[in-house]
Amino acid sequence: MIQIRNLHKSFDDLHILKGIDLEVGSGETVVIIGPSGSGKTTLLRCLNLLETPTSGSLELGALHLTFTPGKPLRRDETLALRRETGMVFQSYNLFPHMTALQNLMEGQVTVLGRSKAEAREKALQLLKKVGLADRADMYPHQLSGGQQQRVGIARAMAMDPKVLLFDEPTSALDPELVGEVLRVMKELAQEGMTMVVVTHEMKFARDVADKVVFIDGGVVVEQGPPEQVFEATQQERTKQFLNKLSV
Amino acid sequence: MDDRTQRILDIVVNSFLPLLKAGVEFTVPLALISFALGLVVALLAALARLSGNRVLSGIARFYVWIIRGTPLLVQLFIIFYGLPSIGLTLGAFPSAVIGFTLSVGAYGSEIIRAAIQSIARGQWEAAYSVGMTYSQALRRIVIPQATRVAVPPLANSFISLIKDTSLAAAITMTELFRVAQQITATTYEPLVLYSEAAVIYLIFSTVLSWVQGWLENRFSRHVAK
Repeated sequence: MIQIRNLHKSFDDLHILKGIDLEVGSGETVVIIGPSGSGKTTLLRCLNLLETPTSGSLELGALHLTFTPGKPLRRDETLALRRETGMVFQSYNLFPHMTALQNLMEGQVTVLGRSKAEAREKALQLLKKVGLADRADMYPHQLSGGQQQRVGIARAMAMDPKVLLFDEPTSALDPELVGEVLRVMKELAQEGMTMVVVTHEMKFARDVADKVVFIDGGVVVEQGPPEQVFEATQQERTKQFLNKLSV
Repeated sequence: MDDRTQRILDIVVNSFLPLLKAGVEFTVPLALISFALGLVVALLAALARLSGNRVLSGIARFYVWIIRGTPLLVQLFIIFYGLPSIGLTLGAFPSAVIGFTLSVGAYGSEIIRAAIQSIARGQWEAAYSVGMTYSQALRRIVIPQATRVAVPPLANSFISLIKDTSLAAAITMTELFRVAQQITATTYEPLVLYSEAAVIYLIFSTVLSWVQGWLENRFSRHVAK
C-alpha cells in the first residue's frame, strides 16, 4: 500500500529525516514509536504532504511521487495523495463553526462533490460507528476531548481514504478518555483499515500493531512485529527507549 | 413663547426632513456602496499580502501605504478636482464612492489580514487533510472563522465611514452635511443646523452599533465563551 524510499526532510539546515525506508502493507497497522524530536511526526506529516519531503520517493496505491530539492510538487499530485489519506490530529482540529455532523459532511460535499443527502447519510453512519450518533448536532466545544477525537477519526473516514494517519491521537486527552479513542482505532484496525499511528501508547502497539517501527535521530533504528521489537529487542537504542518508558 | 424661540423651533422642524432626506438619499447609499466595494478590495489586498508572492504583496503594501498615509479629503480633491485635468471627469457621487472605497479597502485589508492570521494553523491543516485546495480551505473553513474576529473592527470602520461621508460635501455632493450648510446660508443659524446634522449622524451610527451587536452575537453562537 505504502512504499517509502530514502526519504529526507530538512527545515533550513535542520536535517530531520535522514533516509527513511518503510513499507506499509494493505490492511496493516503500523505503529511508529520514538523519543520526541526523533522525526516520527514529521514522517507522518510527509505521508499526506503537510510537509513536503526534501528528497526520496513515496508510493501510495497507484500514485508514485518523487521529491527533488527545490522542485515543488504539482498541485494535482498533492491533492491526489491527500484524497487517499485521512489524518487524525493530536489536537483534533475539528472545524469549530460546524456541528459534528457538518464536520463529517464538509469534505464529502466540498471535495468529493457528494450530494448533501448522501454525505449526511454517510456521516450519520460513521458517527454511529464511533458511538456518537446522539451528538451529531453538537458543536466541538460542547464535546469532551475523547468525543472530539472520535469525531476527528470519523471525519477522516468520511472521505473513504486508503490509509488513515494518526498523529499522537491520545496525547492531548485526559487519561480516562484515552480508552474510548483507542477502542475505536482498534476496531478500525480489526476491520482491515490500513493505518499508520504515531503514539506513546505501548499497550496499543503491542495489542494492535502488525509492525512496530522505532525511529530515532531521523532514521529507522529497528522494526518488526511487536513481540520481536518489544520482547526480542535487537538494538541498544531501542532498549534504552523502552526501558525509560516502563519506569 | 417669544419670537426667537418660535423661529428656531420652526427652523429645526422645517429642516429636519430635508436633512434626513439628504442622509437617506446620499449619505447612507454612499456609505453602503463604498463599504461593500471596499470590503472586496480589502479582501483582495489582504489575500495579496498573505499570498507569499512578492509582486502581489508589494502592490498591496504600496496601496495601503499611499491611502493610509494621505488625508482622505486630499484624496477626494485629487479624484474630483484633479483628474479632470488629465481628461477624467467624474461626478461628485462616483468620485466619492471611489475615494471612500479605496479608504475602506486599505484600512479593511489590515483588519482582514490580521483576522485570517489569527486562525490556528491546525484549521488549514485539517482542511488540507480532507483534500481541500487553498481556496476551498479559505472559503469554507478560514473565512467563516475569521469573520467573527473581524466584525468588531470592521463595524468600527463602517461607523467612521458614515461620519467621513460628510467630507463629500467639499466636493459638491448634496449629502446631509452639505444640505445643513445650504440651510445655514439662508437662515444664519449655524449652531442649530450643525447640531441637528450631528444628531442625525448620531442616529445612523447608533443603528449601526445595534447591527454590530447583532452580528457579533450571530457569529459567536458556536464558540465556547
